[in-house]
Amino acid sequence: MKVFIDYIKSLFLLELLKGLQLTGRYLCAKKFTLQYPEERAPMSPRFRGLHAQRRYENGEERCIACKLCEATCPALAITIEAAPREDGSRRTTRYEIDLFKCIFCGYCEESCPVDAIVESRTYEYCFENRGENIMTKEKLLAHGDKHEVQLAKDREAQAPYR
Amino acid sequence: MSEEKTITIEVDGQSLETKLGALLIDVTDAAGINIPRFCYHNKLSIAASCRMCLVEVAKVPKPIPACATQVMDGMVVQTRSPMALAAQKSTMEFLLINHPLDCPVCDQGGECELQDVAVGYGSDATRFVEGKRVVPENNVGPLIATDMTRCIHCTRCVRFGDEVAGMREIGATGRGEHMTIGTFVARNVDSELSGNVIDLCPVGALTSKPFQYRARAWELTRHTGVAPHDSVGSNIQIHTRRNEVMRVHPDSNDSINEIWISDRDRFSYEGIKSEDRLAQPLIKKNGEWTAASWEDALEAAASGLKEIATADAEQVGTLISPTATLEEIALAQKITEGLGSPNIDYRLRQEDFRGNSTAVPWLGQSIASLEHVNAALLIGSNIRKDQPLLAHRVRKAALNGAKIQFINPLQLDLHFDAAQMVSDPAGMVHNLAAIAEAAGGSHHLTEQIEVGEEHKAIAAELKDSESAVILLGNIAQSHPDYTILYGLASVIAKATDSSVGVIPVAANSVGAAVLGAIPDHGLNAHTMLESPRKGYLLLGVEPGRDTNNPALACAALKNAECVVAVTAYRSPCLEETANVMLPMSAFSETSGSFVNAEGTWQSFAGTTTPAGESRPGWKILRVLGNLFDIQGFDYNSSEELLGELKESHAGGLKITSLGAAKGKIRSVVTGLIRVGETPIYASDALVRRAVSLQKTKDARDATVARVNLSVASNAGLSDGDKVAVVQGEGRAEMILKVDAHIPDGCVWVPAGVPGSESLGDQFGELSLEKV
Repeated sequence: MKVFIDYIKSLFLLELLKGLQLTGRYLCAKKFTLQYPEERAPMSPRFRGLHAQRRYENGEERCIACKLCEATCPALAITIEAAPREDGSRRTTRYEIDLFKCIFCGYCEESCPVDAIVESRTYEYCFENRGENIMTKEKLLAHGDKHEVQLAKDREAQAPYR
Repeated sequence: MSEEKTITIEVDGQSLETKLGALLIDVTDAAGINIPRFCYHNKLSIAASCRMCLVEVAKVPKPIPACATQVMDGMVVQTRSPMALAAQKSTMEFLLINHPLDCPVCDQGGECELQDVAVGYGSDATRFVEGKRVVPENNVGPLIATDMTRCIHCTRCVRFGDEVAGMREIGATGRGEHMTIGTFVARNVDSELSGNVIDLCPVGALTSKPFQYRARAWELTRHTGVAPHDSVGSNIQIHTRRNEVMRVHPDSNDSINEIWISDRDRFSYEGIKSEDRLAQPLIKKNGEWTAASWEDALEAAASGLKEIATADAEQVGTLISPTATLEEIALAQKITEGLGSPNIDYRLRQEDFRGNSTAVPWLGQSIASLEHVNAALLIGSNIRKDQPLLAHRVRKAALNGAKIQFINPLQLDLHFDAAQMVSDPAGMVHNLAAIAEAAGGSHHLTEQIEVGEEHKAIAAELKDSESAVILLGNIAQSHPDYTILYGLASVIAKATDSSVGVIPVAANSVGAAVLGAIPDHGLNAHTMLESPRKGYLLLGVEPGRDTNNPALACAALKNAECVVAVTAYRSPCLEETANVMLPMSAFSETSGSFVNAEGTWQSFAGTTTPAGESRPGWKILRVLGNLFDIQGFDYNSSEELLGELKESHAGGLKITSLGAAKGKIRSVVTGLIRVGETPIYASDALVRRAVSLQKTKDARDATVARVNLSVASNAGLSDGDKVAVVQGEGRAEMILKVDAHIPDGCVWVPAGVPGSESLGDQFGELSLEKV
C-alpha cells in the first residue's frame, strides 16, 4: 500500500509543488529587500557599531581615565595610559581600541561611569592600511564630535532602562 | 594579672586559645577570622575611632570595638550576629556620609579598604541626601598627593607621624564634622619616612604623587625585590606594567624593615627612566663619543685593558660601586685577578685606609636587636638620613629609655632624645679618646687628652648598661681618621663591655667586603687615584659623585690610557674621562644579591627588560672575562654564580677589629675644614636621578654650604651670600647659609651633589671666598 502511495506522489510531483507553494507565496507578497546603500534598515538605539568618545557641552572630554573599560574588556582590545593634565585633572594620554580584537560586546560602554566611551550607529568602515584598525583617542573624539546629536539622543532613549 | 596565662575564648562558635590580655582583633586575625577595620593597624597605637570593628560579646549589652577589647577567659564573641552586622552596617553608612563618590578618579580605586569593606559590610543604597563636606586642597610636597575630602578620620597617618616617623607633621584640627587632617600650618611633609602614610591611608586621601593617575592596582604585576640604597636591604615589591616599573611598595619582613620603607627606597624608581640612561655601547674616537656594537665595544674594552695588563698588571685598577650586586662584584674581582692586578676596591668614600682591611664593616648584631639596646654611642653618623630604618630601630630603643649619644661634626635634627657632642673632625677623635680614657681604656694617642665630665658620663652610661652598642656611621667612614675612630671605639667597647659595629654605607658594602673586593697588597680606592694607573675598570661608579675626592678621581682617570666604564648612566666626569662606556642595566632590570648590614644574603630577580641595549652587569663582565681568556667565566645564570659564592663564603660574619688606634691624627688643619656629608638624596646614581626626590626639602637643603655665625662673621660673610668653596685646585660656587648646627672651624659642604665634582676630600681643608 505504502509503495503505491509513494508512486502516486512521485508521479504527480507532489513534493515539488509543496515546495513551490512557498516560493509562490513570496512571489506575490510585499517585497522587503532593501536597496542598500540607497535604502537603510531601521536601527535600535542600542545598536553597537564603531566606538566614539563623547565630550561635555563645554567641549571638555568626558573620559576621566578610570580604566574600567580597559579592565572589563573581554577581548583586551583597549589600552589606556593616563597622567595628570596641566590643570591637575585625571586624563588619558593614550586611549586606543584595537578593532581587530574588539568583539563589540558593549561592556566598555556599560562600565563607563561618565558615558564617555560609547558605541555609535556607524557600521560602515574599512581599513586599507596596517594600523588603521587602531582607534586612537583623536579618532574616537572626532567620531564622537561628528555624531554627538545622535549619540545623545540614543543615550536618552536608553536612560530609563539603565 | 599574668600576661602569660593561656585562656580560651569562643569566636563565631570556634574556640581559640590565646594569652590573657591580648587584643580581640589580634586573636581573630591570627585565626583568620575577618573583622572589618579602618583605624586599627598592628604597628600603630589603638585609636578605636572608626568603630568599624564592632562585634557582639555575650553578656555585654552593646556591640564593642574588637581593636580596643582585651580578651578574657570564656569570652563568647559573635562577629557576624545580627547585632554585630547591624552595627557594622550603620558605621559604614555614617562613614560614607561625607565620603565623595569619586572612585573613578581616585587613585586608591581597586585597592581601597573603604571600597572593599563597603561591598562586604555596607548597604547597597544611600539614604543621605544632604550636602557633603568638602575640604580645601592642601599641597604637602612633591611625594604625597592629598585629597582630604576623601578622609575618613582614621588618624593612622597622624599616629604614624607621632609614633614611627617621630615628626608631628600631620594632625587633626577641628571637631566633629569640621575635623580635618592636615599639616597644622601650610607646609610640606618632610620626614624621610613620609611615603609610608600612602600605604597606611585606607582611602584615597593620601596617595603617591609621582604615581598619580598612572596606573590601576589591577594592572600591576608584583615582583619582590631588595632596596638598592642603604644597608638595611629593605624588602620591597616592585610593581610593573608593560615592562615599566610603575611604583615600589614595601614588603613585610619583621627582622629587617618591618613594614616600612624609606622615601628613598620608595621613590628612587623614577631614576630608572632618567634621560641620562646609557642606551648603547659607546667608544671614544678622537675625543668624540661614537655609538658602537656590543662586539666592537667589548673588543675595544678588552684589548685596551689587556695591553696595559700585559705590560704591567700593576697599572690596572678596578673600582666598584658598593651598590653593585654580589655577582657583579665577584666577576669584577675575577677579572682583576685574572689580569694579574692586585688593585681593587669598593670603599669609594673612605679616606683613611691605615687599618686592617680585611675587617668586614657590619653592624655586629642583628637589625632587630638594635631596638633592645640600653645605650648606644653613635660616632660620625647622621643615622636618620643615612639609614632611616636603622634610625627607626634606634628610636624605638630611645623611646624605651635607652641613652643614645652622638659624636658628630654637626648637630643633627633627631626624632628621639639623644645627647649630641658636636665638634670639628679632629675634636671627634679627642672626644672619643677622652671617653676611652674615662672608661679605663688606653687610647695610644700621643696627644694630651683632657677628660671632661661629659666624657665620664658617656663612659659610665655605656658601662652601666646591660647591652650597649657603639656604632660608626657614614661620616666616620669618610673621616680622615676612620682607623683611629674605629680603634678608639673598640677600646671603649672592650672597657665598657659593649659591642662595636659599623653601619655600612650602601646596599652591598658588606657583600663586597665578604667577597674580599679589597686590595691585599695592592692599591686601595684612594691610593689607586693618588698614584694614577694607566687602565681602570669602573663598575657602576660615577667618579665625580661617588668618590671621596672627586677632583683627584677625575684627574687620575683623565690621564689614564684606557678607562672602561660599566655604567647605567652617562655622567659628565665619565664622558670626559672614559674610553669605552658599556651600558649596564639599572635597579629592577637585573637579577642579583645584596648582603645587608646584619649579614643577611638577599637575592632578587630582574623585573623589567633592560633599557635600550643595556645588559645586566654580570653578563657584561662574564663576556669581558671570556675576552680576556680568563678561566671560570662559564655561568649561564646569576643563580649559578651565586650558588658558588654561597659555598665559598659560607658561615656568619665575625667581628674583626681594624686594629689599634695608632698613628697621626690627620684631621687637624690650620684653617677651615670641610664637613663633607653625603646627603640622603645624593647617595647613589639612581637616587640622584629620581626627579621627585630631588624636589624634597632634604634635597633642596643639600645645595648650600653651611657655617655657623662665628665662622661667617670671621670671614666677613653673611647668610645668603654667594661664596666660592675652594679646595686646592677645586672650586665650587654655592649659596652660604648660616646654620648653628655646624661647629666652629667647619664648613658643611655636601658631597655627591651637583657642583661638588670639582672639590677634594670630603673632610679636607678648604677656604671660603666671597663672589
